[in-house]
Amino acid sequence: MPGEAPAHVTRTRSGEPVTLLEAIGEALWEEMERDERVFLMGEDIGAYGGAFKVTRGFLERFGPSRVIDTPISEGGFTGAAAGAAHMGLRPVVEMQFMDFISPAYDVLTNYIATSLYRGAGPMPLVVRGPVGGGNRGGPFHSQNVEMAFFHTPGLKIVYPSNPRDAKGLLKSAIRDDDPVIFEEHKGLYRAPHCREVLPAEDYVIPLGRARTALAGEDLTIVTYGLMVHRSMEAAAELARDGIRAEIIDLRTLLPLDEEAIAESLRKTGKLLIVHEDTRTGGIAGEIAIRMNERAFEWLDGPILRVTAIDSPVPFSGELEDYFLPSVRDVVTAARYLVVY
Amino acid sequence: MTSVSGAPGPDASPLEPRDGSVLGPPESRVTEDLLYLAFQARALESAVRQLAMAEVLDPGLGDFRVDERSTVVARAMRRRPDATGDICHAGPLSPGPALAFGATPLEFLRHLAGKGTSPASAREGGLSWTDMRRGMIGWGSPRGGTATQVLAGMALAFGRRREDRAALVCESRSALQSGGWHEGMNFAGATAAPLIVVLAPPLADRPAHGDVAAVAESYGIAFGQVGTEPPEEILRVVAAARRRAVRGEGPMLIELLPFAGGDRWALHEALAERAVAAEVLAEEALAAIRGAAVAGVEHAVARLEKEPDPVPADALVPVRTDFSPPPPWTRRDPPAPGTPADESREQSHAG
Repeated sequence: MPGEAPAHVTRTRSGEPVTLLEAIGEALWEEMERDERVFLMGEDIGAYGGAFKVTRGFLERFGPSRVIDTPISEGGFTGAAAGAAHMGLRPVVEMQFMDFISPAYDVLTNYIATSLYRGAGPMPLVVRGPVGGGNRGGPFHSQNVEMAFFHTPGLKIVYPSNPRDAKGLLKSAIRDDDPVIFEEHKGLYRAPHCREVLPAEDYVIPLGRARTALAGEDLTIVTYGLMVHRSMEAAAELARDGIRAEIIDLRTLLPLDEEAIAESLRKTGKLLIVHEDTRTGGIAGEIAIRMNERAFEWLDGPILRVTAIDSPVPFSGELEDYFLPSVRDVVTAARYLVVY
Repeated sequence: MTSVSGAPGPDASPLEPRDGSVLGPPESRVTEDLLYLAFQARALESAVRQLAMAEVLDPGLGDFRVDERSTVVARAMRRRPDATGDICHAGPLSPGPALAFGATPLEFLRHLAGKGTSPASAREGGLSWTDMRRGMIGWGSPRGGTATQVLAGMALAFGRRREDRAALVCESRSALQSGGWHEGMNFAGATAAPLIVVLAPPLADRPAHGDVAAVAESYGIAFGQVGTEPPEEILRVVAAARRRAVRGEGPMLIELLPFAGGDRWALHEALAERAVAAEVLAEEALAAIRGAAVAGVEHAVARLEKEPDPVPADALVPVRTDFSPPPPWTRRDPPAPGTPADESREQSHAG
């Protein structure tokens, strides 16, 4: 029936497990139900329901003033979202693929991120969308965009690894008064192993706090997004050799929970950083220097990183598999580090 | 000459009047406002030039010009001092629209000079700044067109809440060559946002590229031109555009045509003469308005020198609601040898 909640945003209400994609849909739906200031903008999100169908059924329920199909102009509608946020609304902008955020780089970095500093007040908006490789999408539908924005004071960047976090973090992002870039890995959207039953009650997960995905004593693996799962697989393999890795899932990249990393490092003395983004200028470099500043005395070996190689994301499956960090890469680096 | 055309389509409403020759006598309060703002803008233009020549301000402002129509355009908007009125981005027409929205000459000069008492404590510069309470939005990007995008979004919010509010964005004519501006125009047209876009005339030594009317038509946006009509006529055109926009009939693009030459301030002097002739204003009242406007600028100029420069702490205000940047560690005392980094940094920041 038109206007009723579609099944993909009511699974938690029914006690069913949800995928990460459905968790995102639930967060958006519930926030729009909770707060009429929240509205959506993006390409094909209304009548078509979005490229990944996250917003299927939203137009029928919330109407065209709150589910706005935009022209294909990421800069234009992100700028308009900023204006709406100035006026007290809480826009959630969908990038059909986060690769397309680059035309909005100007308004995000020059206007939105500087708003509070310039005296223009808070800027409560979220820019969300799918990222990541492994889907044979080639160079324009597979990128991770976090480090293009990590350097910009004024922004927050969130990158969940599981449905529970995705829902709680997205709700926090929507309720936050700062601009948030919210990355969702396509490889996790419908991953069966990620399905989980979420709390029935309204919950949020605070931004800026990492979680310990796995406790261990021998080395710390700091990671986020899909790489949490790769690292967990690696940890299982390492455990068979008696190596107990601790895995820190950052969840929020900016602000970075460096205390959580330092605390783990003080326990293990070894630090391995794993990210799917490319190597040069990746977040591993920033984490390494922060730990150098904060916890140098506790380091019992070099800080290592496992990342994608410095190239565009290749199209061919064979090339992309070589490009992306693998479980084997993580295991190899961890073994080297543990015996260092 | 003023000319206006509605957006194409059966629902487009014609904007009246089309002929500036049918003006009635000036209306007292509005005339006083228009004259005060024009006299103030003119005095400020002169002051900025002199301060630039004296290198108190950037010498590049030595040929600073204010378009006398800019105060009129903004005076047509609904201004409120409590964040409930219209929104204005003065852009290249600053300070005209800013003055009409309640900015003072001293604020403008503080901002230009980068004083610690400037609206954002010198953390931003340029001709325009942000004061949400009075409905002013500053320059937000080095690229033209960003303001049009942002104000289109503000207008969208007004429209969605059915408020009696509209957004006025003044852009350089070079915005025509900016993709960002076209994206903003396209968005505003597609959403029928209550937005009025004013294009400043090209600089004297720059060609006027582009057919502005054709651009407006391509986005389904109403179009008007403003030349050297009487200020009351310009006011009426913009006010009509505003009413139309607030009714949900969509944005309007207004092109300010270049002055052909002569006294750029002749429009308001003629208005003053008409007002006196029609006994809307007494000679003494006119002199008082002129004197008050000029005195405000003179006070600002005299005061500017005494305004404090910004201090380093002015750079440390929050960039996010939950985060203020700490002072740069490497510019503070280095940690004592053997001191754990954590401890020394905290000590340094605590200082």
